[in-house]
Amino acid sequence: MTPGRAVPVPGPGETEGQGTPAAPWHRVHPVSPLVRGWIAVVAIAFVYGQNTLSSFFGEEEPNPGPDFISGTPLMVSLLVGAGILLLILLGFFGTWWFTKYQITDRHVNVNTGMVFRQQRQARIDRVQSIDIAQPLVARIFGLAELRFDVADSGSAAMNLAFVKLSEAHQLRNEILARAAGLKTPAPPAPALPVQPDAAQIAGQSPDPTAPQEAAPGAPAPGYASVSASLAASERVVAVVPTGRLIGSILLRPSTILMVLLIIGLGIAMSAIEGFAPFYLLPALLGMAGALWNNLNTGYNFKAATSADGLRLSYGLLDTRHQTVPPGRVQAIKVTAPFFWRPLGWYRVAVNVAGIGGGAANDAEQRSVLLPVGSYEDVLAVLSVVLPAPGVAAPRDFFAAAINGSGTEGGFVVSPPRVRPLSPLAYKRQGYALTDTALVARNGALHRTIAIVPHARTQGLRLSQGPLARRFGVVDLSLATIAGPVVPLVHQLDVASGRELFLEQADRAAAARRQTDSNHWLGDA
Amino acid sequence: MRQEPIDPAGIQWTRVSPSYAKVRMVGWAIGALITLLVLSVPLVLVLTGVWDGFPLWLAIAAPAVVVAVEVIRLVLIPRQVAAIGYAEREDDLLVRHGLMFQKVLVVPYGRMQFVDVAVGPIDRMLGLCKVKLHTAAADATAEIPGLPVAEGTRLREQLAARGESRLAGL
Repeated sequence: MTPGRAVPVPGPGETEGQGTPAAPWHRVHPVSPLVRGWIAVVAIAFVYGQNTLSSFFGEEEPNPGPDFISGTPLMVSLLVGAGILLLILLGFFGTWWFTKYQITDRHVNVNTGMVFRQQRQARIDRVQSIDIAQPLVARIFGLAELRFDVADSGSAAMNLAFVKLSEAHQLRNEILARAAGLKTPAPPAPALPVQPDAAQIAGQSPDPTAPQEAAPGAPAPGYASVSASLAASERVVAVVPTGRLIGSILLRPSTILMVLLIIGLGIAMSAIEGFAPFYLLPALLGMAGALWNNLNTGYNFKAATSADGLRLSYGLLDTRHQTVPPGRVQAIKVTAPFFWRPLGWYRVAVNVAGIGGGAANDAEQRSVLLPVGSYEDVLAVLSVVLPAPGVAAPRDFFAAAINGSGTEGGFVVSPPRVRPLSPLAYKRQGYALTDTALVARNGALHRTIAIVPHARTQGLRLSQGPLARRFGVVDLSLATIAGPVVPLVHQLDVASGRELFLEQADRAAAARRQTDSNHWLGDA
Repeated sequence: MRQEPIDPAGIQWTRVSPSYAKVRMVGWAIGALITLLVLSVPLVLVLTGVWDGFPLWLAIAAPAVVVAVEVIRLVLIPRQVAAIGYAEREDDLLVRHGLMFQKVLVVPYGRMQFVDVAVGPIDRMLGLCKVKLHTAAADATAEIPGLPVAEGTRLREQLAARGESRLAGL
């Protein structure tokens, strides 16, 4: 552990990292492995302690063992325990020591792994979403996890667990400022002496073990002001009151089903002697767990808008702050579930590359922009993720889209002849075009609309099965990034479907030529 | 080529090589053979007297149904192959598939993430290949099987060049 300061690991992109040839490398907070692995430690301690103690004290009850052991067992077991603890701590220290990150002008570099080393580089301008998550234990320590998602479905490109909360905020603002295309005001002040070059010239192999002493999280002076101004300009557009959240959870089909099930079981158990289906307990617990999950992730939900996109924050025990930069939203879904409709509540979810993929288990909660909200809240959120709806009167248009039926609001719906196929929905299912997006409407009881901006259309698919051919209708589905939104125009008249297909392809091509930039604040 | 009602107006489809039907038939033969073998086991057992309890009519009916279905599938293969087509437009690629369940897909060149050219063993014998255009959306993957190798290479180059010039990010 010689405190050398040269830490230039020539990552794959270091050669092209102009501006900051030697951006400092940072380490995550030292207690991070403990915060992540505390359950394992506690479990091992518990099991080991219990075994040791019981074998020590239980010695008397059976026939007292041979005398020659009884002298030292406590000592030995203590030593073994200490050895295991030491090994775990060494492992923790190793993972902490070998995890390092660096933020250059264009890239985020993360090195991890003790035995199997990994150097990962992600382009900042490809950021799709940045999260600051605080699991309960991390909150106690005042730490946070920073996730950086790129358009690779699945795991996060960068997962810094854990850094101090203030540091995480600073990093987020810094990354977003760079991603927004704000140019570096000046090369960062050389906080480090220029030793790295010397080390490289000396022919040292990449040495990630050298410690990092630069003040972590101290951004280049130019960024401090930028991040401060970005962080300051946050405007709350929608909040979810706790009462409404609880109401919305109670009015879910799964909750209603659970309550009915419990009532039914209670009646059955009192009516039939000796009927106690304990085997249903795990299922009930699972349902309760899902409900708890809804409450935990929807609690204190706040959607805000800022220069660097939509900001969401939520969570009861585990909190999360999510930032989705503008132009990253690929498709939007507004849902009006059957039981919420009397109360006028809606839910908004989006497809964003990198977070909607099926692999991550928190994909579903992370793609929700509004767990439950009034129509005003929906409009407020839509105004952020769809800044140009492309219609003259968005309020009336979206009201017609969500709750209307027939051709009001400029919708084209299924021909009446498909009534036998969709007796309830045939008047509602259809599409409407705005200047910037296609809105697909579906469902009569459980109402949904899917909004796909023309500039985000990935492809179109027209399909027709034998039954649809008899009725002279086609389905048009709009391809989009994996996520909760599956835009589909159901049972459209063949002629208009064919027309829409090619027209929409041309519209998408035209929209692509105009927009599409990875930077969103002036690509100077 | 016949214009199906679902096909967009004014599109001239380029058809794939008719010999692609042979590739499909080899696949069909292997699948059909395995199914037939498995479903013939009861019949053999009944006839050899090992499993007397099994109803004879069922033991005969199962392989018979398989044979009937597979023969229909075999007859359909050339028509299914003939139903595959593609068309290159200025900004996008169109691909169509299917007789019974028809699909037409349009994928913009600018959305292309990468292009695959795959050649299987039977493909290689017949000088065919399969071109696959991948986008960021899983359901917008255009797949054109049964292309002659020269055409496949040309298409790949063409797609790559057009994707480059109309690059649109994600």
